[in-house]
Amino acid sequence: MPEKKTKKKPAEKTVETPNKQLSPEEIVTYFKDKFTTKIKSAEIKKRATGSKKKEFVNIWMKIDKSIFKNFIEHLCNLTYPHLAVCSGNDLGNQIELVYSFSIYYGKHLQEISLNVGVEVPKSKPEIETICDWIPGALITEREKQEMLGIKIIGIPDSRRLFLPDDFPKNVYPWRKDEQTKKEIEKLYKNLHEGAKKK
Amino acid sequence: MSQITKTTYQLPIGPIHPALKEPVMFKFEIDGEKIIAVDVELGHVHRAIEWTGMRRNPIQIIYLAERICGICSFVHPMAYCRAVENACNIQVPERADYLRVVHGELERIASHLLWAGVAAHEIGFDTVLFLTWEMREKVLDLIEYLTGNRVTKAILMIGGVRRDIKPENIPKIKETLEYFKENYKKLSHVFLDDKTFKMRSQGCGILTYEDALRLCAVGPTTRASGVKKDVRVDQPYAAYSDLDVDYMTPDKRTGEINGDVYDRIIVRLLEVKQSIELIERAVDQMPTGDIMSEPKIPKLLNYIKKTAGEGIGRDEAPRGEVIHYIKFDGVNEQPFTWKVRASTYANILPWIPMLKGQQIADISIVAASTDPCMSCTNRVTIIDKNKKYMLDKEQLHKLSVEKTRRLMR
Amino acid sequence: MAKGLPKSFKKSLWVFHCNSGSCNGCDIEIIAALCPRYDVERFGIKLVGTPRHADALLVTGPVTRQQAERVKLVNEQMPDPKVVIAIGNCGNTGDVFYESYNLVGPIQDVLPVDIHVIGCPPRPENIIHAVAKAWTKLETLEGK
Repeated sequence: MPEKKTKKKPAEKTVETPNKQLSPEEIVTYFKDKFTTKIKSAEIKKRATGSKKKEFVNIWMKIDKSIFKNFIEHLCNLTYPHLAVCSGNDLGNQIELVYSFSIYYGKHLQEISLNVGVEVPKSKPEIETICDWIPGALITEREKQEMLGIKIIGIPDSRRLFLPDDFPKNVYPWRKDEQTKKEIEKLYKNLHEGAKKK
Repeated sequence: MSQITKTTYQLPIGPIHPALKEPVMFKFEIDGEKIIAVDVELGHVHRAIEWTGMRRNPIQIIYLAERICGICSFVHPMAYCRAVENACNIQVPERADYLRVVHGELERIASHLLWAGVAAHEIGFDTVLFLTWEMREKVLDLIEYLTGNRVTKAILMIGGVRRDIKPENIPKIKETLEYFKENYKKLSHVFLDDKTFKMRSQGCGILTYEDALRLCAVGPTTRASGVKKDVRVDQPYAAYSDLDVDYMTPDKRTGEINGDVYDRIIVRLLEVKQSIELIERAVDQMPTGDIMSEPKIPKLLNYIKKTAGEGIGRDEAPRGEVIHYIKFDGVNEQPFTWKVRASTYANILPWIPMLKGQQIADISIVAASTDPCMSCTNRVTIIDKNKKYMLDKEQLHKLSVEKTRRLMR
Repeated sequence: MAKGLPKSFKKSLWVFHCNSGSCNGCDIEIIAALCPRYDVERFGIKLVGTPRHADALLVTGPVTRQQAERVKLVNEQMPDPKVVIAIGNCGNTGDVFYESYNLVGPIQDVLPVDIHVIGCPPRPENIIHAVAKAWTKLETLEGK
């Protein structure tokens, strides 16, 4: 008996990007007007490739933790961003999270990479989830929880992602402090040295 | 009195599984034949590459990045090299930009053909698997001819590429491209006009436009749902800005976007054609000049060591966007941070809406449709109350084949 | 084919492939060996879906923490006599992944390996050669 396939129609295009598109400079001014001093720094980097030397734009911003959620809200209202990844740097007393967004994709050479850095103190590494705005952030947020020990407040799913279940708790491999180094040493294996002994 | 209270069962698939390039564990909640909930577990091939990379020097990392994935062995070092070039402000010579396009597109053809064969295998159409893999050998021959190896090419260097394409190499490239142009018609006929393929892939594993945006899907998966997102067009790297690339969405062929498995097949096949044309144009337009900005490696290493800065490198892998983030502190040779975002990483969450409401027999083709690799073997356990039934890869595959046969009647 | 292999085989050799954390390079070369260019199925070498049917086990990749137990389990499920073939540099020595907190490999630390195939990834010819050697070993094991 042939099985009947229910053909689902794709949902209506509700996530529309507004027609008005801001230039990189306008984006920086937009956020600077909104948050004034809470935007610690903003830099526009332009680089060119190919023989025609067409330029592409990267914006690097450092913002204060207190406005982070608000910032994401404003960004989503401006244009719905694509979150590529969230990277993390251990700066000693602070952990910096770098959220890489790409905005205004869909047209030739129009896309802008927006990298937003947020510093959280290592003594209280907490940041709010952005999964309510961008559900696709879940994977990268779970990874930051286990690799850098950032507590994501309100994360829908807080299980481990990459590390095995028997991996010791409270060891966060990407941290650079002495304690982590010691703990990692216990798990560390040099396969070349192991082979030499035999 | 015993009453059946539980109406759904759990069905774990993996971690040894054929439709994925890495061992991944799926847990399905099933009601009869229908999937109602999906959960994904990762990390079975977590080799701590990023952590290892923070202990090596920038040149060594190229070769580490190459081994993140054996199928994307060009795009990962490419994204890494671009991240370093952006962080340290290294300008790549024009000829190297064109060479990067040629190698990148060759890899795309190889990868898409690999995928097409696997997709055919998943629905029990092994004749097509052998047909496409025989064609794939032709690309591998060309890759080996140009780089010296079939899979890991070791062609990239920070600030350029390591091998040039000489005038005497051009006829062989043209010859292979001619072969592909001839066979492309056959390939697209087999995949897009065949009744069996249409029956199994149309209306199956739908990812809506909205879900694709919200879950941050990338590559052919998102383009099949109508999202115009392709790094080669959005923010062209290498020589793509000169070569006039366009988004490949399924409406280019059928005039409509459904976001199903069939649309993903269309997108990949259109991209194979696009890649053939791109290589041809890149070879024709290639300027003369250097292929490396700094041929002396110790000098290059020393320069990177002294430079502090951070950068991201993005490129369009066959499976979608790859992005690397790198930070140098200006003191140590090792990077301060290295973060890799592979394309599958972003295509995990979209699996959940795709698989919901599908049948067990469709799992392999739907999971495969975001781009699988036939690298693993699989084992499925159906937990029926307290009893356990083992369903191995063959049985799961058999279920899929049986469904095809049933539909063909 | 390998030296010492008789002209007629007692049976065809079935292999099972297990990924213990490899990058996929070796895995696709194994499939390439099965496809028309190299076509090992003409010798009766076949990739099977379950270890219980297999005579030879192909393991690729440095063994990760999560996969170690599973690889052992797969090996136990195979009927005797059997051979284990470690494919690829990383499975044999660790290669570029030689230092890590999440590896327990190389494969010989986890399983008794009979044949080592090196190369990153090894060419399909190398893999076929290794499988033929495994065959010779199996034939002699059964002969005694």
